[in-house]
Amino acid sequence: MEIEARPKMIGARVQRVEDPRMLTGHGRFIDDINLPRTLHIAFCRSDHGHARIAAIDSAEAAGMPGVAAVVTAADIEGLLQTVRATSTMANFHGTELPVLAMDKVRHVGEPIAAVLAESRYLAEDAAERIAVTYEALPTVIDPAAAAEPDAPLLHEEIGSNVLIERTFERGEVDAAMAAAPVRVGGHFRMHRKTPVAMENRGYLADYDQGRGSLTLHSTTQVPGIVRDTLVRMLDLPGNRLRVVAPDVGGGFGGKTALYREEVLVCVLARKFGRPVKWLSDRLEDLISTSQAFDEVVEAELACDDEGQILGLRADVIGDVGAYSGYPWSAAIEPVQVVSFLPGPYRVENYRGRVRGVATSKSPMGAYRGVGRPISTFVMERLIDMAAVKLSLDPLEMRRRNMVRAEEFPYKSASGIVWDRAGFLECLETACDGADYGALRRQQAAARQQGRWVGIGLASYVELTGLGSRIAVAPGMPVNTGTESATVRIDSTGAVTAYFGIASHGQGLETTLAQIVAEELGARLQDIEVLHGDSDAVAHGTGTYASRSAVLAGGAAIVSARAVREQVMKAASHLLEADAGDMDAANGEIFVKGTDRRLSFRELARAVYTEVNRLPRELREDIELEASNIYDPYFGTATPATHLAVVEVDPETFGVTVQRYVVADDCGRIINPLIADGQVHGGVAQGIGAALLEEVVYDDTGQILTASLMDYVVPTAVEIPAMEVFHLETELPNNIGGFRGLGEGGTIGAPAAIANAIADAVGHLNIDINELPMTPERLFRLVSQKEE
Amino acid sequence: MKPAAFEYLAPVSLAEAVAALGRDDAKILAGGQSLVPMLNFRLRAPSLLVDIGRIPGLDYIEDDRAGGLRIGAMTRHHTVETSDLLRQRFPVLHAAMQYVAHLAIRNKGTIGGSLCHGDPAAELPGLMLLLDARLKTTQRTIAAEDFYEGALDTALAEDEILTEILLPPLPAGTGWGFEEFARRSGDFALTAVGATVGEEARIVAIGAHETPLRLRAAEALFPDIEAAAEAAREEVSPNDDLHGSADYRRHLVSVLTRHALMSAREGAAS
Amino acid sequence: MIKLTVNGIVYEREVEPRLSLADFLRHELGLTGTHVGCEQGVCGACTVILNGDSVRSCLCFAVQADGAEIETVEGLGSIDNLSPLQKSFQEHHALQCGFCTPGMLMTGVDLLRKYPLATDEEIREGLSGNLCRCTGYQHVVRAIRAVVEAGNGD
Repeated sequence: MEIEARPKMIGARVQRVEDPRMLTGHGRFIDDINLPRTLHIAFCRSDHGHARIAAIDSAEAAGMPGVAAVVTAADIEGLLQTVRATSTMANFHGTELPVLAMDKVRHVGEPIAAVLAESRYLAEDAAERIAVTYEALPTVIDPAAAAEPDAPLLHEEIGSNVLIERTFERGEVDAAMAAAPVRVGGHFRMHRKTPVAMENRGYLADYDQGRGSLTLHSTTQVPGIVRDTLVRMLDLPGNRLRVVAPDVGGGFGGKTALYREEVLVCVLARKFGRPVKWLSDRLEDLISTSQAFDEVVEAELACDDEGQILGLRADVIGDVGAYSGYPWSAAIEPVQVVSFLPGPYRVENYRGRVRGVATSKSPMGAYRGVGRPISTFVMERLIDMAAVKLSLDPLEMRRRNMVRAEEFPYKSASGIVWDRAGFLECLETACDGADYGALRRQQAAARQQGRWVGIGLASYVELTGLGSRIAVAPGMPVNTGTESATVRIDSTGAVTAYFGIASHGQGLETTLAQIVAEELGARLQDIEVLHGDSDAVAHGTGTYASRSAVLAGGAAIVSARAVREQVMKAASHLLEADAGDMDAANGEIFVKGTDRRLSFRELARAVYTEVNRLPRELREDIELEASNIYDPYFGTATPATHLAVVEVDPETFGVTVQRYVVADDCGRIINPLIADGQVHGGVAQGIGAALLEEVVYDDTGQILTASLMDYVVPTAVEIPAMEVFHLETELPNNIGGFRGLGEGGTIGAPAAIANAIADAVGHLNIDINELPMTPERLFRLVSQKEE
Repeated sequence: MKPAAFEYLAPVSLAEAVAALGRDDAKILAGGQSLVPMLNFRLRAPSLLVDIGRIPGLDYIEDDRAGGLRIGAMTRHHTVETSDLLRQRFPVLHAAMQYVAHLAIRNKGTIGGSLCHGDPAAELPGLMLLLDARLKTTQRTIAAEDFYEGALDTALAEDEILTEILLPPLPAGTGWGFEEFARRSGDFALTAVGATVGEEARIVAIGAHETPLRLRAAEALFPDIEAAAEAAREEVSPNDDLHGSADYRRHLVSVLTRHALMSAREGAAS
Repeated sequence: MIKLTVNGIVYEREVEPRLSLADFLRHELGLTGTHVGCEQGVCGACTVILNGDSVRSCLCFAVQADGAEIETVEGLGSIDNLSPLQKSFQEHHALQCGFCTPGMLMTGVDLLRKYPLATDEEIREGLSGNLCRCTGYQHVVRAIRAVVEAGNGD
C-alpha cells in the first residue's frame, strides 16, 4: 500500500511567511532604509491648475539652514532623456511627462522645484520660501467641454485635448436597437478616485561613484519596468542600475506608473553624489499619485420581450488628467471601459466609443479594476433597468443572457475570447449562498414596514494573468505577457526562488513558496522567495493586473519541475534507483516503499562539495538551478457574481450595506486564506467607490480632497462581514490552473451596491446612475422626484 | 507635512502659562488633536506653543454637590466618555461622546481643547450650549451661549485659558435626545442635534451653522414636534461644502430635531 | 533634553520641539515598526501606547512625551515568540501589506485592555480610527474576536 507521502502545499491554509516580520515591526519599508549623508527632498508644487511659469525665485530658499540645493527644470536639463508612452492605437497621443515643470504647469500639485536638505523638516521650511510667478491660463476641468474643438489646450503641440479615441463595433447595432421592443439607457457617471495605499510613495536613490552604478529603492509595483526605463533615461547599462522594491505598503495600481519623483531622485543622486530620498506625505499622495475611474458614459441596451439582449451601445468620455503617463498611457483606463462593457453576456450587436480627454487634473493611471468597475457598473445597471421594465427578476435576466458552458470559447463583442469558466455557476452560487429567495421574502416584509431595503446583483468577467497574445494596451513599450522564475538549490541544500514580480501585500512570498515546495518536494521553510528586485531575474515587470499567481506561479512550476528533474538525476545515482521509483517530499528524496532516503542538504553536498560522490560526466551534467519564462498566452478569465443587500435610511439617506456575498471562479486556489483576503480587500475598496470616495476638483482646478478627512475611505464600521465562495473550475491550457483574483472585488462591488440602492428606492422610480451615491446625491434625487 | 519650527514651553502653573501667552503669536497646546494637524499642514505656524498638559489640577470630574458637575478643562474625552457620574447626571453628554472621533483621539484630546478649538461640527461645543454650561477661565466665567463668536472663533482673549466647565444640574425628569449623522464612523458630524425636554424644550444644532446654535424658534413650538422640526430647518444657516449642501444639512437638522425631540419627550414622560 | 521609557528602555535625547513622537521613535531611536501614514490624524498607522493609552504619535510632539512610558509594536512579542494578538493576526490572515498592522495591533491592545468587546460591532467601532486598505477589516475583526474568546490577554 502506498502511503500518501507528499503533503499538498498548493491549496493549503498555510500561514504567511511574511507575517512574523510585519507583526513585530521588522518589516523593511522605504522609510525604514536610512543611508548616511542622505539629502531629503521637499517639493514646491504648483498651486495653479493651468499656468505659464514666468519666474521662479529660489534665492531665499537656497540660503536657508540645512539646504544643499534648490533644483528646477533648468538645472537638470541634459541629465536625462525623456520618455513618452507609445501605442499602436490610431488617434493616440502620448505626452512627455516633465520631471519638473518647464514652461508651464498643467495641474495643481505638479512639481516645479525640489529642495534638497539635511532633513525633510528643513526641506519643507525652504520649499515654502520659493516664489513662483505664474501667468494663469484657462483651466480645463469638464472633460466633455475639454473635448470641444475650441477648448483651451493643455498640450498645444497635439492640437486637441483628446489624447485617445477608439471604437469597438460588432454587428448592426443601430438597426438592432431601432427594431428592439425594449430599450433602456442613461447617463452614467463614476467620479474620480485615488488608490490610497496606506504607505505613501517614496524613493531613495544611492549612486556609487566608484562603480558608476545606481541603486533605486522604490515603493514600486514594477521594478523591472522602472529599471528598463531608467536605463534609457539615464543612459546607464542595466547591470549598473538596480531597482529594489523593499516591503511595500500596498499599491492597488497606484505604484505601477513611472513617477517623476522617482526619476528625479536618481538624477539628483548622480548629480550630487549623495543618496537622495523623497517620501511622499499624504497631502502629496492625494494630489500626485495616479487617479482613476473618472468616466461619463452614455449607454443604451436593447432586448426582446423575453429579455434577450439585442444590442448595446455606449459613448464614453474618460477624464485622463493632464498627462498620458508612462508606460500605461492615458488609454489604459477609458479603453477598458468599452472593451469590457458587454460583460459576461451574449451581445451580438455592439458599439462602444471612447475618448480619453486631458484636463487640468492629476494624471489618471491604473487603479484596482482599471475601467471594469465602470463598465460593470454601467452594464449591470442596464441589465437591472431592463429587468424592471420587463418585470423580470434580475437573476432571471442574467440567466437568460449569460454565456453558457456550451458556448465557450466565446468571442465577446469587443473581441475578447472567453474560455471555459464558471460564469453561470458563479451567479447561481452567489444566489444560493445568500438564499436569494429568502432574501426577496425578507425584503418584501421590510418594505411592508416602510423600510427601504434593496438587493443588488452584479456579474462580470475579468481577464486576468494576461499573456503575450493580449497586451495590457496595444503597442505599449513593455511586455506584460511573460514572467520569469529562477529556482536554485545552493551548496547547503537551501532553495531560493527568484522572481520578477513584486509582492506588496499579496502574500506571494508564501504562495510562490507553496508552489515551489510542492513541485520540488521541499519543505516550505527551506524556500526563500526573492522578488521586487530588478537584479533577481533577467526580465520581469512586476505585480499588477491580477497577474502574479498566474504568471509567476506558472514560471515557478516550470522552473521547479526542471530543478526536480536534475535532483532526481543525481538522486538516482546516489540512491541507486530509477527516477520512476523515487519521489520527494518534506525536503527528502526517497525510494518509494523503502527506507532509502536523502535530504536536499545531502544531495547538494554530493553534487557541489563531495566531488567523489558522482561520476564526473554526471556532475557536469547536473545543474541544480533553472530559469524559465512562462507565458499564459491568452490569459485567464475570472468570472464572479456579487450580491449586496443594502438599506437606505428614508430620512437621512445614509446607506448601510447589510450583507455581502461573492462567488468567484478563481481556478485552483493556492492558499484559501489569501484568496479570501484578496476578495475582502477588493470589495472594501469597491464599497468605498460606491458610497464614499471621490476626488473633487473645483472649477479653477483646485483639489478639495487633499486630506483623509475629505477623501473618505471606509473604516471597519462601513464594511460589512462578507461571505465568499470560490469555484475552482479547471483550466486545461494553463500550467498551474490558477486564475487571477486581485482586482475582482473592486470590479463587482460598485455595481452590486448601485443595483441594491436602485432596488431599495425602486418605488420612487429613481435612476442610480452616479457613484459614489452619497447621502447628498440621494437626497437630491429623492427631492427632485418629490417636487 | 512637517510643522514649521516653534518654541515650546511646558509651564507648571496657570500663572506661568498666562504670562507666556503674553507673547505675540503664542498658542495653547492642550491635547493637540485638532491643533497638531493644522500645524502639520502649516495652516497655523505659531512661534510659541504653550503646553498646558503639565499644569496640575486641571483633570477632574467632580460633583458640585448641587446636582451638577465640574469638569477640569484638561480632562480627556475618554475620561468623560467613561465617567459613571457623568453618565448618571448628563446621559445626553455621555451619548454624544460615543460619536467623538476614535479611541486614540479620545485618549489624548481634552474637553477644554475641543471647546476652545470651536469646530462648529464638533459635538462638545454644542452640548455645552444644550446643557447651559458655564465656562470658567483664568479671567472670568462665560456662558456657553456667549462663548462662540464664529467658526473656530471664541470669546477667549489671547492670554485667557479655559480652566473648568460647570454643568448646572438638569431638573429631575428631564428627557433627552441626541442624534447625529456622519458619513463615516468617528468623522465630524454632517449634522447633529441634541435636545432636552423638561418644563421646556431646549434644542441645539451642530454642524449646520457657523457656530453651534440654539434653535429657539423650534423650542418655542414644542410640544408640536412636527412644527418644531420644520422651524428648525429655517433657523440654521449651513454652508455648502464637500460633504453636504446647505439644503441637505437643513433637511438633516429637521429630521434629527424631530428624532431628538421624540426621544427627549419619551424620556421626560417616563 | 527629554527622557522617556520606550518598551522598558530609558532613552535621553535632545530634540527639536517640532519633532513628532512618530519621527522621534523612527528616526532618533530607530524603532521603525511605528509607521507614518498621514500625519493628519486620520489613518492610525502611527498608533502607540503612551502612559497606558493608545495615541496617534503623529499628533504628539516628542517633547510632550518627556517622562512618559511608551509601548510600540516592537514591545509586543518577538519573531520567535509572538504575543497572543500577533499570533491571532497571523492565524486569521489579518494583515496583507503590513503597513497599517503596527497601528492595528496597538489599537487592538488598548481595546482589549479597556473594553469587553462583546460584539463584532464593538470591535469594528473600536477599530474605526485605523484605516486598512488591504484586508477589508474582516480578518482583523476575526483575529481580535479570537483573542477575546480565548481570554488570555493581549
